[in-house]
Amino acid sequence: MKYRNLTDSEITALLSQGCFCDDWTAVRVSGPFNPAHIHSARFEGTVKLCPMNQEVAPGEGAPKPSGLYSCYIKDCEIQGPVYISQVGRLEGYTIEKDVRIENVSSLVVESPTAFGNGTEIEVLNEGGGREVLIFDQLTAQIAYLMANYRHEPEMIVRLKELIQDYCQRKQSDRGVIQSGASIRDVQTIRNVNFGPKALVSGAQSLEEGTISSTEAAPAHIGEGVIAKHFIVLSGAQVDSGAILDKCLVGQGVRIGKQFSAENSLFFANCEGFHGEAVSLFAGPYTVTHHKSSLLIAGMFSFFNAGSGSNQSNHMYKLGPLHQGWLERGCKTGSFSYLLWPCRIGAFSVVMDKHSSNFDTSEFPFSYITLEDGKSTLTPAMNLFTVGTRRDSEKWPRRDRRKDPDKLDLIHFELFSPYIVTKMIRGSEILQKLYEETPKEQKYVKYKGVSILRLLLKTCRKYYQIALKKYYGEQLLKRLESRSFDTLAGLREILQPQETYTGDWADMAGLLAPRAVIQEITEAIKDGQIKRIEQLRARLKMAYENYEEYTWAWYVHTLERETGTAIGQATQGQFIELIQDWKANAAKLNNMILKDAEKEFDQNSRIGFGVDGDEEVKESDFSRVRGAYDGNEFVRSLQAENEAIEKKAADWTARLEQLLTPEIRNPSKDR
Amino acid sequence: MERNDIKTKVLKVISEVLDTEGVVIGEDDNFVFDLGADSMQSLQLVAGFEEEFNIEMDEDKALEVQTVGAAVDFIAQYV
Repeated sequence: MKYRNLTDSEITALLSQGCFCDDWTAVRVSGPFNPAHIHSARFEGTVKLCPMNQEVAPGEGAPKPSGLYSCYIKDCEIQGPVYISQVGRLEGYTIEKDVRIENVSSLVVESPTAFGNGTEIEVLNEGGGREVLIFDQLTAQIAYLMANYRHEPEMIVRLKELIQDYCQRKQSDRGVIQSGASIRDVQTIRNVNFGPKALVSGAQSLEEGTISSTEAAPAHIGEGVIAKHFIVLSGAQVDSGAILDKCLVGQGVRIGKQFSAENSLFFANCEGFHGEAVSLFAGPYTVTHHKSSLLIAGMFSFFNAGSGSNQSNHMYKLGPLHQGWLERGCKTGSFSYLLWPCRIGAFSVVMDKHSSNFDTSEFPFSYITLEDGKSTLTPAMNLFTVGTRRDSEKWPRRDRRKDPDKLDLIHFELFSPYIVTKMIRGSEILQKLYEETPKEQKYVKYKGVSILRLLLKTCRKYYQIALKKYYGEQLLKRLESRSFDTLAGLREILQPQETYTGDWADMAGLLAPRAVIQEITEAIKDGQIKRIEQLRARLKMAYENYEEYTWAWYVHTLERETGTAIGQATQGQFIELIQDWKANAAKLNNMILKDAEKEFDQNSRIGFGVDGDEEVKESDFSRVRGAYDGNEFVRSLQAENEAIEKKAADWTARLEQLLTPEIRNPSKDR
Repeated sequence: MERNDIKTKVLKVISEVLDTEGVVIGEDDNFVFDLGADSMQSLQLVAGFEEEFNIEMDEDKALEVQTVGAAVDFIAQYV
């Protein structure tokens, strides 16, 4: 943009409108500048102004006539029509068009800063050793590598360099308030960058941060917020008295209602209200809504904290250096307590207070309760609860990220190779324990928890139901998108394209073979990955290849676990997989339906029709809660059961009609 | 196996799982509302019946059984 000096008549006009400046030659203007919309403004240092001749249309509120009113502006460049009014000190910013700044005490860039980028966060372990550098492109997966791959010291050093290189590029002595941003009713803001359409309204104090808002997904900082050393990503909302110190607030995250957090990471779609977080690695969809809930020094994802959930990371010995790990999909019941170190298997429910350390990671879908004073595991029980099913359906629907550039890579599948591997191992362990444990023994101990001997066989059966469902479901999923008319053709199209058959990992939302992650870490180490953008691209490639990785793993696992080799499978074996799927998918659904039925049983009616008889109670209940048969979830599961029957019948018929080599070309095979 | 024999064994399992020693249990008693079985105890009852009778019950059908008498009849199909 070309700037010129003010003309004498323009200076005269500005002076007559209460404006002031020690050196008017340092105030430069562009285009058809008109001083009419500048009143009571004091300028200092180099100030560049564009014409104030259009309405300002900030991301929030009605359009306003552009202009500068009652403000002190030092060393700023205003690149388009803006509305700036009642601003005590505005210093060191480039301000794009359509920005509204109103009733702000101080908005300054005081010294060269990276605007929160590069802030080191002591995540997971308050004693240190797992520090993550936050920046405005940090994804859950990069943070996962940074925090958890400390066994790869060379990779960590290199990764840190990549991040520091990125943060160096953010370093500046000038901030940016991008177009459409609105900042009003704020006390102090220091060294903060604002993305397009960022909305800051009523915040108390913001220091050393970036509000990485975008056109498609504005970020919002609201009433009473105090934040220092922070990154807030697009579509996030932090309001109602939240206090943040050294935090990353990811895309689509909601933090508010006086929640306080320090040294914590909140990735996509997390929600933190009322409670407290310290050294928390909140993977995608970590939710804590209640007062007295403390999440400390733990790794979570797809997690729901019950009221009063609490953990300890301090055993009053060498310091607060213990950590916890709740794999994806866990829930903690009201006033549950866990003593770190502890690791909980995916999709498990923790109830009661546990003061022993245990590792249940080989048993997904479990209940952990206190029985006879012992931390007790009921494996597989959460496989057939309504909550698990509903959660797995609701997460993808509740993805609030509107930004086309979604930073966190998230796979939502309930049954993935990662989880299925766990179920296979869990089954094997339960079988072994069952065979080894005498009938007289009430409990068996395993990695710090007790399991009722009586349940070993039963819980194994539940895992087997899920496994059989999975094996058939994967086959059908593959068949549905491919065409074939012979058995040979069928075998051909089912050949895997990928070769990864080993264990998988859940990188805070991204499910991938460990070998693929290892390749990425090697590429970081040997310098193939030179920039953060390249690392993101490699991770995205792993994300997008999920289906092919899954299929390669599935083919290998199916043969190992059931003896069915896809490349040589008979019609009968394919049909058997589908029939097993039908029986077990319907069985699992029926068990979930039984669980749903409890929501309508006599116990659920307690407290209904308080001032009446049984008839009133029934009437009250049916009007408030409805009926089992009319429940939307119940109906969808019942419909699914019908669809399962039909699908299995259709595919069985189709497979029965397959042309075998003998039928197609009898003479050749004779 | 006679129905009465099945019932005796069913009551034994109930007593062990739900700790109902000394409680008079009728065939119409509901496991949840009358005997206070929670979700995990319901699983234990299924597991207990399977072990006591050395049978493998249909998992989803077993969870549909609500009363003591229904449990006796259900198990009778397997023994």
